[in-house]
Amino acid sequence: MKNFYLLIKPRFFAFRNQLISSKGGKRKRIFILGGLGFAFCCGMFVVSSRVLMHFQSVEVIGDLVARYLLSMILLTFFSLLIFSHIITAVSNLYLSKDLEFCHSTPVSVEELFLSRSFFTLMDSSWMLLIFGLPVFMAYAYVYRPGAGFYFTLLHMNLAMIIIAAGAGILITMLLVYVFPAQRTKDIIMFIAILMIVALYFLFRFLRPERLANPDSFFSIMEYLSALKAPQSPYLPTQWITETLWDSLTVPGGKNHMFAVTLTWVTALSMVVINVWVAQAVYIAGFSKSQEAKKRHTVGTKILDVFVRCIKKPFGEDLGAIIAKDLRTFFRDNTQWSQLILLGALVVVYVYNFSVLPLDKSPIKLDFLQNELAFLNMGLAGFVLSAISARFIFTAVSAEGEAYWVISSSPMRLRQYLWGKYVYFLFPMVFLAEVLVIVTNYLLDVTCFMMFLSSIAMFFMVLGIVALGIGFGALYANFKYENIAQLSVGFGGVLYMIVSSIFIAIVIVLEAGPVYILFTSDASGTTVTAFQWLLIIASFLMVVLINILAIFKPMKMGLKALREYEG
Amino acid sequence: MIKLIDLTKVYKGFCAVDEINIDVKAGAIFGFLGPNGAGKTTTIKMMAGIIKPTSGQIIINGMNLAEKPSAVKQYVGFIPDRPFLYEKLTGFEFLLLIAGLYRLDHTPLFDHRISELLELFDLSHWKDELIESYSHGMKQRLVMCASLLHRPGVLIVDEPMVGLDPRAARLVKGIFKEQASNGTTIFMSTHSLEVAQEICDEIAIIQTGQIVAKGTSEALRRMAGVDGDLEHTFLKLTEGKRLGHEKFLSAH
Repeated sequence: MKNFYLLIKPRFFAFRNQLISSKGGKRKRIFILGGLGFAFCCGMFVVSSRVLMHFQSVEVIGDLVARYLLSMILLTFFSLLIFSHIITAVSNLYLSKDLEFCHSTPVSVEELFLSRSFFTLMDSSWMLLIFGLPVFMAYAYVYRPGAGFYFTLLHMNLAMIIIAAGAGILITMLLVYVFPAQRTKDIIMFIAILMIVALYFLFRFLRPERLANPDSFFSIMEYLSALKAPQSPYLPTQWITETLWDSLTVPGGKNHMFAVTLTWVTALSMVVINVWVAQAVYIAGFSKSQEAKKRHTVGTKILDVFVRCIKKPFGEDLGAIIAKDLRTFFRDNTQWSQLILLGALVVVYVYNFSVLPLDKSPIKLDFLQNELAFLNMGLAGFVLSAISARFIFTAVSAEGEAYWVISSSPMRLRQYLWGKYVYFLFPMVFLAEVLVIVTNYLLDVTCFMMFLSSIAMFFMVLGIVALGIGFGALYANFKYENIAQLSVGFGGVLYMIVSSIFIAIVIVLEAGPVYILFTSDASGTTVTAFQWLLIIASFLMVVLINILAIFKPMKMGLKALREYEG
Repeated sequence: MIKLIDLTKVYKGFCAVDEINIDVKAGAIFGFLGPNGAGKTTTIKMMAGIIKPTSGQIIINGMNLAEKPSAVKQYVGFIPDRPFLYEKLTGFEFLLLIAGLYRLDHTPLFDHRISELLELFDLSHWKDELIESYSHGMKQRLVMCASLLHRPGVLIVDEPMVGLDPRAARLVKGIFKEQASNGTTIFMSTHSLEVAQEICDEIAIIQTGQIVAKGTSEALRRMAGVDGDLEHTFLKLTEGKRLGHEKFLSAH
C-alpha cells in the first residue's frame, strides 16, 4: 500500500501549494466562493428547517411525510452519486493526462486503480457535503436527536458514498472494456442527460407539492398508502433511511445492527469486487482508451446547409467564426446534448404555470394573474441568466487554446465580441419571448400586461446577453479541461450575481409604474401628473440601466481581451 | 521589411524582453535563437499582435502594428510553436475559417489555392477528417498551410520544426527557402542550430531578454572567436549566463 499513498500524495501537494501560493486576487476569489457556498448552505438549512417544521405541525402524517422526504433525498443522492462517479471515473481512470506516466511506473495495477478510485470518490462526493449537510442538519435541528445520530449520519453516509463509488466505477470499467473510453464518455454523458431529463419530468409531473396538501388525494388512506409505499428492501438507501430515522426520532436509537452491518458489508464487498474486476479488465480498457479519436464526421451535409443559412448575414470573417462555433457545438456530444436539458427546462417551466391553482387563491383573480405575469418576467430572466451562464458566458473561452487564431488574425476584437453578441441575441430573444408569451397566455393576462412583458423581456435580454459576453471575456479561460465547469467558476458565479441584480433592479423599477396604472384602472381614477412623472422617471431609469448593462460589460470584456497575455 | 525598435515587455516588474532592436530586410530569412526562457516566444507573440509590448515599436512593411493592427495582421502569416487548433473542424473547414478571417474571396482560384497547399503539405487525403484525429506533425503542417493561404508578405514562425519528421522538416525548409526567394520575409525562432545555419541569412541571439549577438553565421562565429559550426558559436556566446528568469517565464 506504500505506492497507494505515493500516488495520492501529488493531489494533496497540489491542493496545499495552491492554497499557499494563492495571493491577492486568487485568495479573494477563494474567500468569495467560500462565502457564497456558505451562504447557499445557510439558505438550504433555513428552507429545509421551515419545511420540516411545517410537516411536524401536521398531526399524524407530519412525521410520515418527513420520513418519506428523507428516503427520497437519500435515494436521489445515491442515484446522483452513482452518475457522478461514472462520469468522473472515465476521466480519472482512463483519460487523465498523467495516466501514461503512472502506467509506465512499476506500481501494481491494484494500487493504481485504488488511488484513481480514491480521486473519483473525492471528486464526486463533495456534492453530498454541500447539498446534503444543511438538509441533514435541518433534520437534526427540528428533531433534536442525541449524539448517536451524528455518528450514524457520518458513517452511514460514508458507506453510501463507497457503495455508490463502487457501483459507478464498476459500470465504467465494464463500459470502457466494451467501448473506447472517449466514446464511452460521450455515451455516458448522453445517457446521463437523458436520465436527468426523464427524472426531472417524472418528478415534476408527479407533482410532489401535493404531498403537503392531503386534500388533493381522493382519501386519507390513499394519501397514507402513498407515503408508506415501501422502497425495495434491497436498496442500501432503505437501510440507511431506517437507521437514520430511528436515531433521529427514537430516544437512544433503536438497535439497527443488521442494517448497519448490511450496509458496511456491501460497501467493503464493493471495494473487493472492484479490485477483482480491475485486475481482469482495467489494463485492457486503458489500452483501448489510448485509441485514436473519431476521424469522420456524421451528418455533415445537413450541418453545412444549416451553417450556411445562419452565417449568411454576418459577413465573411464573422460568418467564418460563427460557422466554426456551430460546427464545433453540434459535433461535440457533450455540448449539443445539453439542448435536451434546455428543452426539458422550458417544458417544465411552462407546465408549472399550467398547474397553478389560481382559482383557489384568496386574492382577486385579475390582480393575481397580472401580479404573476410580473413575477414571471423575473423568473424567466433568471432562467435565461442560467442558460446564458452555460452557453453565452463560455462563448469566448470556447475558443480554447486556439484563441491565437483569432488574436493573430486581422479581425478586430470589437467586431469579434459584438458579433458573438448578435449571434446569441436572436435565439435568446426568441426563447425569452416564447417563455413569456406562452406563460402569460396560460395565465390569461390582460393585453397591456402581455405587451409590457414582451417589451420588457426584450430589453432585459439585451442586457443579459451583453453581461454574459462581457463577463465571459473579462474572465476568459482558454485553458479549461471541461468548458461546463467555467460557468460554475468565479467568473460564472459573479456573472449570475450581477445578472440577477440587473433583473431585480429592472423588475423593481417597472413594478412602481405598473402598480400605479393597475390601481388607477381598478379604482377608475385618473393618473395624476406626479404619478406620470414617476412613471416616466422609472422607465427612463430602466433604459439607463439597460444601456449600462449592455455597454459597460462589453467595454470591460473588450479591454480584458486586448490585454490578454495567455 | 520588419523593424523592432526598443521593443520591451515587462511582466509584473520582470523584464522578459529588454529594448531589443532588429531590422530585417525584405526577402530574408531571419533566425532568432536563444536558450529556453530567453524571450523568443514573447517577442514573436508581440510581433503577431497576440500580446502588447510594454514599450517600443513593431514596424512591418512600413506600418506600425500598434496603429494599424488589422492591416499589419493582414500582411503577416503566423505559425505558433504549439499547433492548438479547433479539434472539431476538419482540416478543410479550418482553412475556410482562416480564409474568412483574412477576407479571401471564395473563387475557383481560391479553391485551387487550397488544393495546392494541401497537396504541398501532404494533407490532401486528410482534409475531410476531424483535426482531433491528426498527429502533432499533421497539425503543424496544417497551421503552415493556413499561414500561407493569404500569400503573406511576412511570415512569423515560432519553432517550426518541433514535432516534424525528417521528411516534413525537409519539406518545410524547402518551402521557406522558396517563399523567401519569392520575396516573403521570414522571421523564425528556432532551437535547431542546424536549421538556422542552413537556411537563415541573418541570425540574432537573445538571452535574458536582450540581443547578445546579431549578424550572419560567419559574423557570429568571428564575434565568438570560435571555429566550427553554429553550435559552438551559440554555446560560446551564451555560456555562463544561466537564466534567473526561466522559472518566472515558465509560470506565464
